[in-house]
Amino acid sequence: MNIPGLSRLLIVLSILTALPACQQSKPVLHIYTWADYIKPELTHRFEADHQCWVIIDTFDSNEAMYAKIKAGAGGYDLVTPSSYMAKIMDDQGLVQQLDHRLLPNLKHIDPDYLKIAIDPEMHYSVPYMLTNTGLAYLKSRVPGFEPTWKMLDRKELKGRVTMLNDMRETIGAALKSLGYSLNTINDGELDAARDVVIRWKRNLAKFESEQYKTGLASREFLLVHGYSGDILQVQRENSDISFDVPVEGTSIACDDFVVTRNSKEVMLAHQFINFMQEPDIAADNTNFVAYLCPNKTSYPQISEKIRQNPGVFLKPEIRAKSEVIQDLGANNVKYTRIWDQIKAAN
Amino acid sequence: MKQSRLPLVTTLLLLVFFYLPILVLVITSFNSSRFGTTWEGWSLHWYRRLIQEREVLHALSNTLIIAVSATAVSVVLGTTAAFALHRYKTRLQRFHYTLIYTPLVVPEILMGISLLLFFVAIRMDLGLFTIFLAHVTFCISYVAMVVLGRLQDFDFAIVEAAQDLGASWWASTWRVLLPLLAPGILAGGLLAFTLSIDDFVITFFVAGPGSTTLPIRIYSMIKHGSPPLINALSTLLLLITFLVVWASQHLTRESS
Repeated sequence: MNIPGLSRLLIVLSILTALPACQQSKPVLHIYTWADYIKPELTHRFEADHQCWVIIDTFDSNEAMYAKIKAGAGGYDLVTPSSYMAKIMDDQGLVQQLDHRLLPNLKHIDPDYLKIAIDPEMHYSVPYMLTNTGLAYLKSRVPGFEPTWKMLDRKELKGRVTMLNDMRETIGAALKSLGYSLNTINDGELDAARDVVIRWKRNLAKFESEQYKTGLASREFLLVHGYSGDILQVQRENSDISFDVPVEGTSIACDDFVVTRNSKEVMLAHQFINFMQEPDIAADNTNFVAYLCPNKTSYPQISEKIRQNPGVFLKPEIRAKSEVIQDLGANNVKYTRIWDQIKAAN
Repeated sequence: MKQSRLPLVTTLLLLVFFYLPILVLVITSFNSSRFGTTWEGWSLHWYRRLIQEREVLHALSNTLIIAVSATAVSVVLGTTAAFALHRYKTRLQRFHYTLIYTPLVVPEILMGISLLLFFVAIRMDLGLFTIFLAHVTFCISYVAMVVLGRLQDFDFAIVEAAQDLGASWWASTWRVLLPLLAPGILAGGLLAFTLSIDDFVITFFVAGPGSTTLPIRIYSMIKHGSPPLINALSTLLLLITFLVVWASQHLTRESS
């Protein structure tokens, strides 16, 4: 390699690495979250309003993020784990108690959701985005669809159905179809649910957590078990897709904002949470992300399409039967055991 | 005698095998549909989106900074390590060999977690520098192994001959040894560059705030974002790679 080329490269490199240094004059808020989970224009607005920089890093699973933070990786101020993981992080002392004086917008949070939340008083977490698990299908190919888990038994759909490759979601669906709690630790109920999932499995193409969106859009699958946020994104492409939540109830998952224990920008982190719960901003963000920010005051400003979607805004009677998946600690083993049996069955 | 068609057919099949997936990726990057499998018409939509994605571009620049610097450093260290291993056959060098060899067989996740624990223990702030250190750690081994292979059938009589003819140690190294080893060093460097640019597991653990690299970003986007952006980005990366390869071939042809 020629030397001038090398030195030129080094100069370019040193300029590039020096760039972040110029930004140090303003405070920097580090957010650790999922990809495409905050509308970029909103972070820009926050940066302008608060004279700061917002730097977003991404993770791809709660568990990997937890392993990293638990091992001592610091520097992140705000993280958006799912509720069950937020609880674990709180138990482990990895997150801070929130200062409600800095969060006046918490009054907008939907009290109906808080009733079933894991942290209903919002001591350490603020709900950011909700998603319901339900059934999506192609209207033209699945005549006579009924919003019930029994759809998974329809023989005429054999081989064209998927369920989530997630033990808690899928066993949870079976528990709900039987009228049990999806956080049960009763062995009899769990065994009954196992038999239901094994029966469903004979009708499935596969257990699938990511490609089902593509499969549904391309008409490879006719009926899928999936998350409302994902399905709403596919619906923008294929208007033949419909989504509904079974009347027996379902699981509601929520990602929460938490402030890490070692955060250097506690004030700014609180300001960001409060900013995202500003009703017009929450509505704007909901329209962009297609998940639902449980900010009650923002609901009227959300686009018609999302507001009219029965899979997003659950009917009160279905909502009453739905639950948030909780971490069961040592009892998680019970689920792992029957999940193994389900995977081995044929 | 009629020439056999077999080599031609095999080559064609191999090319299809290698390049068809890439071609599909390039074509889908122009698909206006968000979910790649249905065709909704040609569009530059995803390229326009890509230019506006500050975070993706930031991740791209992080990845390139790390790949280039980690490759440069691991090429130097790896080559000297290979040289020492080849020249000196002491017990210490056998131990050295084991040390160099280990990162090739240690599971990535173990290496990632242990590096993270180490950085936390010595209170080093996680960021680009820790990713750079981690990448150098595993790249050295690959470079050393490739260069060692090249050294195995290297005739040191040539170097001795050069010194007999009056070349200094510096001259014989710089003008005889290194040019002959260059293909091995280059191959090791390219291998290190590729490994560094697409490493996910180790990088995930040692990355700090503001140092998200492209693979980390892409994994999160697959689960939770818009995959077509990735297709567009990959197409651009391919274009850059082809340009670099073409330029380097062009340059080497001219100099020789």
